[in-house]
Amino acid sequence: METYLQITSVWGVYLSIAVFVAGMAWRIWEWSTTPRSPIPLGMFPKPRTGTGRFFKMLKDTFIAPQSFRIEPWMWLAAMAFHIAALGAFVGHLRLIHEFPFLPSLLGEAGMNTFAAWSGSIAGVLMLGAILFWIARRTTGPYKTISVPEDYLLLALLFGVVIMGDHMRFVYGSIVHAATYREWFLSLLAFKPAFPVELTSSNVAFSLGTHMLFVDLFLIYFPFSKLVHTVGALASNYVRSE
Amino acid sequence: MSDEIKPDLELDLKGLLCPLPMVKVSQRIKDVPVGGVIRAVATDPGAMADIPAWAKSTGNEVVSAGKVGGEFVFLVKRVK
Amino acid sequence: MADATTTEATELATLAGVIDKKMTRQLKQYLDLCARCAICKDACHQYVATQDVKYLPAYRAELIRRIYKKYFDKTGRFVPALYEGRDPDENLLDELYETTYACTGCRRCMYFCPFSIDTQFILSVAKAMLIAAGRGNEMLGQLADAAIFKGDNMEMFHDVIVDGFKDVEKEVQEITGDPTAEIPVDKQGADILYVALAGAHSIRPAAVIFHEAKESWTLSLFEAANYGFFFGDPVKARKIADRFMDEAVRLGVKEVVITECGHAYRVAEIFHEAWAGKKHPFKVTHVLEKIDAYIKDGRIKVSKAIELPITYHDPCQIGRNGGIFEQPRDIVKAISKDFRDMTPNRQEQWCCGGGGGIVAIDEMNEFRLKSGMKKVEQIRATGAKIVASPCENCRLQMEGLDEVHQLGVRIAAIMDLVVESMPLKGRDAAKV
Repeated sequence: METYLQITSVWGVYLSIAVFVAGMAWRIWEWSTTPRSPIPLGMFPKPRTGTGRFFKMLKDTFIAPQSFRIEPWMWLAAMAFHIAALGAFVGHLRLIHEFPFLPSLLGEAGMNTFAAWSGSIAGVLMLGAILFWIARRTTGPYKTISVPEDYLLLALLFGVVIMGDHMRFVYGSIVHAATYREWFLSLLAFKPAFPVELTSSNVAFSLGTHMLFVDLFLIYFPFSKLVHTVGALASNYVRSE
Repeated sequence: MSDEIKPDLELDLKGLLCPLPMVKVSQRIKDVPVGGVIRAVATDPGAMADIPAWAKSTGNEVVSAGKVGGEFVFLVKRVK
Repeated sequence: MADATTTEATELATLAGVIDKKMTRQLKQYLDLCARCAICKDACHQYVATQDVKYLPAYRAELIRRIYKKYFDKTGRFVPALYEGRDPDENLLDELYETTYACTGCRRCMYFCPFSIDTQFILSVAKAMLIAAGRGNEMLGQLADAAIFKGDNMEMFHDVIVDGFKDVEKEVQEITGDPTAEIPVDKQGADILYVALAGAHSIRPAAVIFHEAKESWTLSLFEAANYGFFFGDPVKARKIADRFMDEAVRLGVKEVVITECGHAYRVAEIFHEAWAGKKHPFKVTHVLEKIDAYIKDGRIKVSKAIELPITYHDPCQIGRNGGIFEQPRDIVKAISKDFRDMTPNRQEQWCCGGGGGIVAIDEMNEFRLKSGMKKVEQIRATGAKIVASPCENCRLQMEGLDEVHQLGVRIAAIMDLVVESMPLKGRDAAKV
């Protein structure tokens, strides 16, 4: 189990973060060095001012009102997933530092309850959205247009979320953020070490597997359609050029 | 002289608006054999330039083009 | 055998190379971003009417994406199977031909896409690839060549064309009751160069309106329609538009006014400067913008002569892709008593199914009429008896739909309706 953790939760983390950062930088560099189309590709109605255009880009990217109008359920799943993923990401910041104010406001027990609830909701929403996407992608016209990349990404996400949910729902009341923080801060200090609470219980397997999927997900991220996280801003900006 | 030529296909393009007469001739030229002739009658004056221009650029031949009453009559020969 | 394989591989790589030649930042992003969420599926009138995946916008783009992945994307070249990377082989080109030349370029899919992916732009690369493979649509190519030939050999056609204009001029004199009414051609220093279609129907009403508004105008020798654009060859498309753009420069006009034609307006207003790489020394406007201004400024008189319920169809290239939504509606409201908008309308208006040159492609006739299902439902729901629309392709398509589905509607150009609503001496005298 120690070796598994060493691979997925120490070296895997270093590697995947390096690949992710370098990959995204390469991708953005590649985009920015390709010459723009001389033909304006905007559509109407378009905002008259630069500020208007900027806010329209944000609206089209983060709210996508047109997509809601045409397919509300897909929009709902996408929104639920992305908001929950953002929530989960913010929650994971506790790995670096406890939130200011919140613990003193809620008390330590209150903080853990709050995190349990918010983390659980996020975890369930993400799982729900992923299952919806898997169901959608394996039927009808969606199946025909899908390529292995789509299934690979859904499988990786499913792995990340199911193991995260496992840690949340099975070990949530036993192992708390402080324990994971000890491990994560040791990584950041380049002195990797695992607290005994992690290595001595079966949570080690859950963490190791969660991290395995996270590593693979991050490594593949810059080379997949997930670059829409950054690129959608650019393409939605072109919409009103 | 053009009356002596017996067309292989008659096209009634009356009432069609340009560029449709040219489009129709272009679509139907395949229906006559090489050397065959289409007689097309159009009412849109634009056809007087369109059909000859199409024939020249596609390497076909307008044997005759003229105004008869309010109509424009073309004899178009398929060359290739 | 080995040689044949090598030749074939070289040919495929050359064809795939079209993507690389056409590569721009926007294209790269469109190809990299698409999540294949298929939200675009119900945006496309062709997919909705046929439920055939090959018309699903994301799938049409996916055909090009798969070649891109195999040949030009770093990851795709490493593991093509992950993206179903493909060669531009016979099968793929067959599929590409059908999906690409069927597309009307309405960009309704782009409107609903959360990443605003421009499928028409991706398909412009598909057309370039088909042309490189000698598989560009023959009809559209011929029509484009005829237009260019006419431009290059104007001396051959000038007199015939002007003769045709003279016939129309007589009609204009009869309608207006003014024997001095004229259709000016080659008029140096006119304010406006009006670019019509080859057909008299696009000249006559405009000439009446310009005459009544006392406009300083001149008629272009060339038609606005651009089959080079539909064919998918920007060089041809530019040459075709250059014919009247150069004429406008030569005559020193202040404004080029495009007739009731969708793609011609978008080509002139949005694309031509980019193709030519220089700014126009004149404005480009749509004739309905002018007519709307004439009515609002009192330069022409109209009455609410149209009693029957009337609706307006936004041509995609004028509305969503051209930015003209209100002026045509204002005109129709000024001349009619019972205006009813379609639902949805303006930027969400359904494509009628007649754009992109598909009306000239004989073998797609049946499919084209079938794809107009949504438009038929929309027209029926309004209960209108007249459908006004400022695009020749839209009108042709809707006339076809009217015939097939027995809608019992009149499909009309807005200029014609305006002329019908104007008090005109000649015509009114003839009526009595």
